[in-house]
Amino acid sequence: MTAALKLSGLSKTFPVGKRLLGPPRAFVRAVQPVSLTVETGETLGIVGESGCGKSTLARMLVGLLEPTTGQIEIEGEPLDNADPATFGRKIQYVFQDPISSLNPRKTIRQIMEAPLRNLHGMDAKARAARIAEIFAAVNLREEFLDRYPHEFSGGQAQRIGIARALAADARILILDEPVSALDVSVQAQVLNLLAGLKAKFDLTYLFISHDLAVVEAVSDRVAVLYFGSVVEVGPAEQIFSNPRHPYTKLLADSAPVVGRALKAPEGRETELPDPLNPPTGCAFLARCPFASDQCTSTPPELVEGETGHSVACHHPI
Amino acid sequence: MAGYILKRLFSAIPVLLGISIIVFLIMAMIPGDPATAILGSYATPENVEKLNRDLGLDKPLVQRYFIWLGNMLQGDFGRSFSLNRAVLDEVMERFNATLILAGTSFVICSVLGVAAGVVSAARQYGLADKAITFAVLLGISIPSFFLGMMMILIFAVNLRWFPVSGMWPIYGARDLSALLSHLTLPASALAVVATGVIARLSRSAMLEVMRQDFIRTARAKGVHERSVIWRHALRAAMVSIIPVLGIQAGFVLSGAVYIEMVFQWPGVGRMLVDAILKRDILLVQGGVVFVAACYVMFNIAVDVAQGLLDPRIKT
Amino acid sequence: MSFLRLLSRNRLALAGLVVMALVVVLALITPLLPLADPDVTNTADRFKRPLGDAGLLGTDHLGRDLLSRLLWGTRLSLAVGVAAALIAATIGAAIGIVAGFYGGRTDNIIMRGVDMLMAFPYILLALAIVAALGPGLLNALIAVAAVNIPFFARNIRGVTVSIAHKEFVDAARLSGMGDVRIIVTEVLPNVIPVIVIAMSTTIGWMILETAGLSFLGLGSQPPQADLGSMLGEARSALITNPHTSVVPGAMILVIVMAINLLGDGVRDALDPRLKSGALSRPMPATLVRRDSVPPQPRTEDEAILALRDLKTEFHVKNRVYKAVGGVDLHVRPGECLGIIGESGSGKSVTALSVMGLVASPPGVITGGAVYFEGQDLIGAPYETLRRLRGNRVAYIFQDPLATLHPLYTVGEQLIEAVRAHHPTSRDEARTHAIDLLKSVRIPNAETRIDSYPHELSGGMRQRVGIAMALANDPEVIIADEPTTALDVTVQAQILSLLDDLRRERGLAIVFITHDFGVVAQLCDRVAVMYAGRIVEEGPTAAILGAPAHPYTARLMACVPELGGGRRELAAIPGLPPVVDNLPQGCAFADRCHKATDACREGEVTLVPKGPDRAVRCIDPEIATEAAQ
Repeated sequence: MTAALKLSGLSKTFPVGKRLLGPPRAFVRAVQPVSLTVETGETLGIVGESGCGKSTLARMLVGLLEPTTGQIEIEGEPLDNADPATFGRKIQYVFQDPISSLNPRKTIRQIMEAPLRNLHGMDAKARAARIAEIFAAVNLREEFLDRYPHEFSGGQAQRIGIARALAADARILILDEPVSALDVSVQAQVLNLLAGLKAKFDLTYLFISHDLAVVEAVSDRVAVLYFGSVVEVGPAEQIFSNPRHPYTKLLADSAPVVGRALKAPEGRETELPDPLNPPTGCAFLARCPFASDQCTSTPPELVEGETGHSVACHHPI
Repeated sequence: MAGYILKRLFSAIPVLLGISIIVFLIMAMIPGDPATAILGSYATPENVEKLNRDLGLDKPLVQRYFIWLGNMLQGDFGRSFSLNRAVLDEVMERFNATLILAGTSFVICSVLGVAAGVVSAARQYGLADKAITFAVLLGISIPSFFLGMMMILIFAVNLRWFPVSGMWPIYGARDLSALLSHLTLPASALAVVATGVIARLSRSAMLEVMRQDFIRTARAKGVHERSVIWRHALRAAMVSIIPVLGIQAGFVLSGAVYIEMVFQWPGVGRMLVDAILKRDILLVQGGVVFVAACYVMFNIAVDVAQGLLDPRIKT
Repeated sequence: MSFLRLLSRNRLALAGLVVMALVVVLALITPLLPLADPDVTNTADRFKRPLGDAGLLGTDHLGRDLLSRLLWGTRLSLAVGVAAALIAATIGAAIGIVAGFYGGRTDNIIMRGVDMLMAFPYILLALAIVAALGPGLLNALIAVAAVNIPFFARNIRGVTVSIAHKEFVDAARLSGMGDVRIIVTEVLPNVIPVIVIAMSTTIGWMILETAGLSFLGLGSQPPQADLGSMLGEARSALITNPHTSVVPGAMILVIVMAINLLGDGVRDALDPRLKSGALSRPMPATLVRRDSVPPQPRTEDEAILALRDLKTEFHVKNRVYKAVGGVDLHVRPGECLGIIGESGSGKSVTALSVMGLVASPPGVITGGAVYFEGQDLIGAPYETLRRLRGNRVAYIFQDPLATLHPLYTVGEQLIEAVRAHHPTSRDEARTHAIDLLKSVRIPNAETRIDSYPHELSGGMRQRVGIAMALANDPEVIIADEPTTALDVTVQAQILSLLDDLRRERGLAIVFITHDFGVVAQLCDRVAVMYAGRIVEEGPTAAILGAPAHPYTARLMACVPELGGGRRELAAIPGLPPVVDNLPQGCAFADRCHKATDACREGEVTLVPKGPDRAVRCIDPEIATEAAQ
């Protein structure tokens, strides 16, 4: 089985304080070199808190951002130019904010037709047939096609966003917080729809979210991101029940759970490291109860453990 | 803070250079050659050629620019042929009069405009709001030169409260009260449009700010409504009002040209119009560069004020 | 077209439109009218008064017919003004779109140039251009258009930048569109309304400015008349023959005013923010319009805060959104009451109604009462409310960056909170503020007090928000989703802080959230809201253990819980009803698997189910006995 998606050493650095001429004042590394593999038909969940680089990573995967270093391989073929059009046929993106991902001045039909025409060069008849097929798959009525985005609720708009991603006929979908703008009752509808579509169209998902419970519920494997690095990857059913990285454990302990007493897993107020002045060793050092001298000097590498459970920590739990 | 001011001052250098280039290029676009215009009926080919040489017009454009710039930096703006006087002397004298007029107007329009905008927003849809909105509409729709003329007709000719025109009485002492009585009508006429624009913008800036969450926080704290409006809302609204004050200062400064014509005010605007009609290029060039440079300096002051107001602007 | 309908609804804009239409028609048919030649002089008949024997408006200083000159002049001025506006808008918008869309260096270089042009006092630049090109109407037009280009460029650039960063532009890229295609089909349609607004609001300016240049003698040259040159020529005879000045001057005023009215109308009709009536400032306290006052409940005498049949509505145009449709709630001292619901359920509006903080317009409290220590606050005088706000009943809001004033330091805002209710000296208040920051466990309180909100992290800011709520030792704290905007690890810290504070200080907390986990950990009792009403209420453990209302039960089933592994989630079909069109009977009936015809008929009331529990359902999930 070839991997659907393979990232090797993918990183992104942003310039800060641009000048008219000459180099920028400083650089911020939003994503440290990341290597990950997503198997065909798998759902890989990515969790992390705000500022951990998960959206930057996602945007690189679909060619909306050019990686600073590293390579993306889709089904064994490397993609090295940041051209969304070549990416578009192979990998598509579902946005977090369903309403703002739809152009308010276009009808749903116009939005749906764009990928069919531009990526596949279909004629009008083929487009209509394909749209009908996709709309049936995402449980949307065809009468919606001639309406404008503002007439839809968040849940419906997100279905349209998913339909658009499907229209491109890509095998891989990047789902960037696809349900975090939705209410829980609607969120479950969309998650179930995604699960159904995946089986029906043989899709591979990269599911990004800050909600641990949601990620766990939809993923086969989960990667935990902290300060731009993958700190832990493991099977979904293990990663939060048996976390090996102290940060994963902190996340799991922090999630409010019915029936668990309230306590702050961290006694003191802690903050993320300064991206302009990154730590030399482990980024989690300042918050870690197990920190040692080794952690201060060398950043830990992601090491593969048994049953595909990898962790980047000098003192895994 | 001193560092921030210094940085702003340094950033003015490219702007000033840009301004000088733009003015120089505009003036270099002039069709025909200035020598013919200056010499008029005395223009024989030999005379024109000689004058062109004297004015340095036979040299390439870039060289001419640097010569002109170098002279200006030494305070030599050239000589006005129509007045037969050093351009800088004339401009400085005239700018003084314009500054008195425009400065007074600017103070009037800033204070009245912001106050009217705040009151209007605080009493949205109330009587005061409607009255102010109507007055503002009238104010931004009336040409200042027409307003000035009507003011002369009403307040100077019919009511005889103020003198008809000029900056000083022809006979009598040149004291402050004489100046004020001459200044009242032109300064008010000049302020009207800017007051309207500032009031309008202040109102919408206030309305925008009043909807922000931090206003609700202030109210939830039990802060007096007066303080909510003048302390919380106005302070935040000033962030968007101050740049407009800067732009309006430019309108007042340059719009003074109309008022100076109507009221025979001996300002730089009237001088420029005369110079344009007489094709006195050096005087136009010098006047425009001088006034624009002063305006750039003023805008630096505006930026500094903005920096003092808003800590989010990096110093 | 909805745009014209919106425009026609605005009476002032309509008046402007009528006047403008009249002027434009007059200008268009001027060549067809039986008018005297505007340029033929007749010095014998100079300065004839209006309504005399020499035409309707009399004659000017050269004996030319003023009416004829006025109409021809209007024609010219309008044409020049509109042309200048079109040129400036087209070029300016093109520059702005290119700069805004491509960003980076392109943007930087273009905008530096624009800034350079804007560094000139506006009219001065026009004068310089006219000086170079020479006096003349066409040159005046060019000058006015040129000096306005930077304004359009800057304005349109700003809008383009915000649109270019919208997700639908990314989506278009992923659909295989190129840059040009995206600009034309995605960006431009969204920028055009802004261009139209900018044009309609500046066209009046352009007419004024070209008239101004003509007035100075730099625009239209004699004998050609435009409104400005007519005024300029009349100036010397202002005192002796004012009518020659008044006629063109009044015409300019009428035209520009009509255009401005129309322009404002166009702006209001095209601006989506104004469309929804959003641009109105909230009043100091929510409007109250209620017919009767429900009495204070007997049974809840020990409650410090009791809501009785509270109804809050939003009146937007002709629609009435019943955000809160009759809510009864109470909280006792030292108790934490959770209100849980999805967005649009009315939970936040309920909380804000307590102290009259619902934005009004459009919010109106249309019924019910809020008893704080036995005193009804709905309809209480503003000063009474103000004295209680932040003093006895304090709020903590959701997004701590938006809810703190960005231009005051944390300390200034804390000190103000104290001094709004207790006249203490600044130094005393400052000491108190530092103590407050320490009590919410902010490290280095002595230095952090002088920080601005943007210098703090989200968690720190929310601590400041809590400190501010504690400033006057209130009896009740209403926390409106205080941790929703925070990361989980920070949320855990804030929740445990709130829990400690309430136990230390005996605070009553009303905690609004959409998260069952949070409710379970923090709240003693919980009320579940749906479509503006409470559908279920009772002790947290009892409700979470055995929900009585089908909505509660199914909503809980929707939420994935950590530790459950990969699974199919239960979902509730359909969408919550929109509160401007609530169904008869139970609002949940359409989504409920147990719904019968009885659910859709008549009012379903909140009935007690066992001790301290109540449910609004005729067929609850558990029998009354089981709830005990």
